[in-house]
Amino acid sequence: MSKRIVEAYTGEYAGGKSENALNRALALARQGRIVTLVDLDIVEPVYTLRPIQEELRALGINVIAWKTAETVGLGEAGTTLKPGARWALRHEGDIILDIGYGVEGTRTLNLLEGAATDQDLQVIAVINISRPMTAEVKDIVEHVREMGRVDALLNNTHLADETTPEVVQEGARVVAEAARHLGLPVVATAAVTSIAEEIGDVDCMGNPVRVLTRYMQKAFW
Amino acid sequence: MSKKIVEQEKRAFMTGNEVVAWAALAAKADIMYGYPITPQNEIMHYWTRMAPKYEKSFLQTEDELSAGFTTIGGVMAGRKAFTATAGPGNTLMQEPMSMAEMMRLPTVVVVQQRGGPSTATVIYSQQEVTMTSIGGNGEGMRIVYSTSSHQELYDYTIKAFNTAWKYRFPTFVLGDGYQAKMRESLTLYDPEARGIELIPPEAYVGKEGVPGKDRPPAHFRNTYNMEEELYELVMDALQDYEKISPDVAEYHSAGIEDAELVIVGHGIVYRAIKAAVEAMREKGLRVGYFRPVTLRPLPVPQIKELMASNKQILLMESSYGQLARLFKDVAYGSSTKINTFFKPGMGITAEEVEAAAREILK
Repeated sequence: MSKRIVEAYTGEYAGGKSENALNRALALARQGRIVTLVDLDIVEPVYTLRPIQEELRALGINVIAWKTAETVGLGEAGTTLKPGARWALRHEGDIILDIGYGVEGTRTLNLLEGAATDQDLQVIAVINISRPMTAEVKDIVEHVREMGRVDALLNNTHLADETTPEVVQEGARVVAEAARHLGLPVVATAAVTSIAEEIGDVDCMGNPVRVLTRYMQKAFW
Repeated sequence: MSKKIVEQEKRAFMTGNEVVAWAALAAKADIMYGYPITPQNEIMHYWTRMAPKYEKSFLQTEDELSAGFTTIGGVMAGRKAFTATAGPGNTLMQEPMSMAEMMRLPTVVVVQQRGGPSTATVIYSQQEVTMTSIGGNGEGMRIVYSTSSHQELYDYTIKAFNTAWKYRFPTFVLGDGYQAKMRESLTLYDPEARGIELIPPEAYVGKEGVPGKDRPPAHFRNTYNMEEELYELVMDALQDYEKISPDVAEYHSAGIEDAELVIVGHGIVYRAIKAAVEAMREKGLRVGYFRPVTLRPLPVPQIKELMASNKQILLMESSYGQLARLFKDVAYGSSTKINTFFKPGMGITAEEVEAAAREILK
């Protein structure tokens, strides 16, 4: 098996972090790899992938996330890190981190044992240019620079059910331009199956296309 | 002059809170006063992220009482000011908004309802209908728009500023935690490019000239010594409110003409009702819906007409009858049966709407 994959997905609120993180985890698991998906939303654990974690487990990945029963009684008790998440990087196999709630950005990673020294860790900023705060190259550059450590960008441009290949390709162009300014690579363009099939294996900028299945709508958030 | 927030119309994928911040900028709001509370926090987050770029201001106050009163202060000083809150924050907001009601000052408050009573959940409810519509110690001389989508959050937040400054009654945009946090597409536009004239604010105090000599004194009171004086003022304000109500009230309805059952609901629950009614219509069931957009004032003539039509009513909401109380007050005297489906603090799905409707039609 090739070397362990450790990726942290970060980015603008509602930019598609969770959807991309869990799809990546499932894709790796389908290759027969051992994968742990970690929900690192410490601000609002009532949102995020909590409601669909059993479904994800059934699809063959380990999930570190709060269960509803474990959070009952906590109320709005402030930020909560699931203890297991702190040691997530010590797990065997691939680790996919879903850094929730964009405001604190990648600083959340400081809470994980070994994050600062993990040689394999790659922090990926998920960008949707249909999100008005990251619509233009200069906005993306500014946004990514504010986030702290970012190693690569991922184009996740979409307009929900109104998405067309053109919308996604325009995102690919803008994200590539922003990446050039930032001196960062673009790891992929992500799109739902029907759109991804129309685009093909690579986007107009030559970056690989990852096929997304939408799970997060079932999580309500 | 600061640049426009929306240069040209475009589709965007956003969360509801973000939409409100953009709409307030599009409506040329000058300042937001606020105190954090989930699920409205990102209204403040996005406003504070964008405000410096557009030469706008923000003040975080020590609580919602203060957020409401500073909003009033901003308004009196001639700023297009607004605030946003939820749940127990909305409870505190009733005191300043009662004062705005008494002083006839335009205020805009965006409410993203959360579970109640008290702190309850941060997530969702329709349990702030009573408080937002007729809260405070007074007569509920407010205007309340209950939105159901991001497009409506955008449209009605912009509209709320014009409504408030036109009629000078406290104006509320009543969303909820689902709308605050969910993501969907909408069209962002510059209201002026669409021909919507934005009413500019004016300073109510600190004007030029000598009060009583060059101009009438700016005398804004919320305290009266004599009951007769208060009575006269409140009755005048109520008369104004009654007069504008037909112009302000808004509703949506469909399929009512031949319907056996009309489903009534507001806000995000209306989305489920609409989807269910459309699905049932396709299956040949004679159902329709009636959705008040304004909960204060309610579309009174239309509700009376509906209640005179001898159909059954099914009223559905995510509270234990808060819309029902307002609705039944208007419907009083009709013998039309009002069935109810209440789920306080819980969402209502289109499947639940259809099941409840079928139970009645059986």
